[in-house]
Amino acid sequence: MPIGVALIVGAALMFAGMYVSTAKLIDLSALAEQGIPLDLGKTIATVGVLLILFPVIKFFFVAPLMEAIQTRNTELEKTFSEAEELRTEMASMKSDYERRLADTEAKAREQIQAQIREAQELRKSLMAEATSRADEMVKRAQDEIEAERQKALGGIRLQVANLSLMAAEKILKESVDTERNRKIVEEFIDTVEVPAS
Amino acid sequence: MEVWIGTSTSWLAAAGEHGGKEHHGPGFWGLVFYIGLVLAILFGLMSFAKTGLKSRVFTKPTLFGLPVLGAFEQIYLFIEQLCVGTIGAHGRKYVVMIMVFWMLVFFSNLVALFFPTAPTADLSFNLGLALVSIGYVQWEGIKANGLFGHFRHFAGPKLGGMLILISLIIFVIEIISELMKNVSLSLRLYGNIDGGHRAADAMNELGKNIIPLGGDTGLSIPIGAFLMPIKLLTCVVQAMIFCLLTCVYLSLVTHHEDEHHEEGHGQPVPAGAH
Repeated sequence: MPIGVALIVGAALMFAGMYVSTAKLIDLSALAEQGIPLDLGKTIATVGVLLILFPVIKFFFVAPLMEAIQTRNTELEKTFSEAEELRTEMASMKSDYERRLADTEAKAREQIQAQIREAQELRKSLMAEATSRADEMVKRAQDEIEAERQKALGGIRLQVANLSLMAAEKILKESVDTERNRKIVEEFIDTVEVPAS
Repeated sequence: MEVWIGTSTSWLAAAGEHGGKEHHGPGFWGLVFYIGLVLAILFGLMSFAKTGLKSRVFTKPTLFGLPVLGAFEQIYLFIEQLCVGTIGAHGRKYVVMIMVFWMLVFFSNLVALFFPTAPTADLSFNLGLALVSIGYVQWEGIKANGLFGHFRHFAGPKLGGMLILISLIIFVIEIISELMKNVSLSLRLYGNIDGGHRAADAMNELGKNIIPLGGDTGLSIPIGAFLMPIKLLTCVVQAMIFCLLTCVYLSLVTHHEDEHHEEGHGQPVPAGAH
């Protein structure tokens, strides 16, 4: 029923009920004597009051209350929905970060392994180079030693020959052909085994 | 409180046509006064409660430490559950009407605790409530089933031949039954609220006779006050019964809406709708 009609009908019923009750148009005193105090005028007026009250209370309080509850429920649902979305997003971000962290760790581990391998290879090559250089130096030193030894041996041989000649001259007390003697001495020395030092 | 005031001496009771010991409810202007009192309390509380509608949680405003808007919210949720549980999913559209009924009956009953009489202690007022309730039920039944379909319900199952006489008898009985729903609703409420007054009066008289305190002044020990807890319970229970029965009547005439809903969407019909 439209609110305007309800208000008009309600007001009309109120006045009608008032008239019926105050003018005592309907006599129900017989019922009252039997313990049923009924006044149809009041009943009609009550129906009128209720017809007015329903829309008035609805628009004055119940509808705003329902709207407020609905709004709050909607806000709560929205908040819960947003919280759920955030939770999902956070879970997704967490798994993403975990995956990225694992990737980073794997990459770091791989880089460390590569560095270690590279260092090991570098160590090997350095070791090899150092070894070859050392060997070369040793060889060179040995060659130099050998050359010096040969040089020393030549010098010693010359000294020995000179000393032998001088000794022979002293023993023979005579002069002999120097060139001839030298040749003899050298042949002699060549036959003599020089002990290794 | 009426038990302390004493109905025979109160000016409030004098507003009643049958004031005093007869105690047959207020007269016309007495009823106007008491309805006005109930509406003043109701609209006062509603106006007060509306100030907190903007808040997210209805903890304010408070009255004597109680959140008024929170209380109205609980009433609304209770009525909503009552409607949906009893009528079915479509019962939500009746929440406003049932809530208005509940508040009117409950606050009228509360007035009965503190004053010599109250609107719901008047059979005529209760009959008006019942007529509106049952009238609305019939209106909804006609809207749901059509005029012919609604009245065909009163004839029971479809019978042929001479058995149509039985349908006729069932129809008459059902019509009487529908009319008696008005009597049932109004008499039950009237009997409980007015009966509470009479019981309190009787106990006060008992106190007056056993231990007279003030001689001619009429002062006595208000033994009837001991009935206050049970009367308070009656206030709540009677308001709930009135609303519950209205919901049941509505479910009886509109439960086809849920059946159509079930056919359309495969949703089960709430048990309370049958």
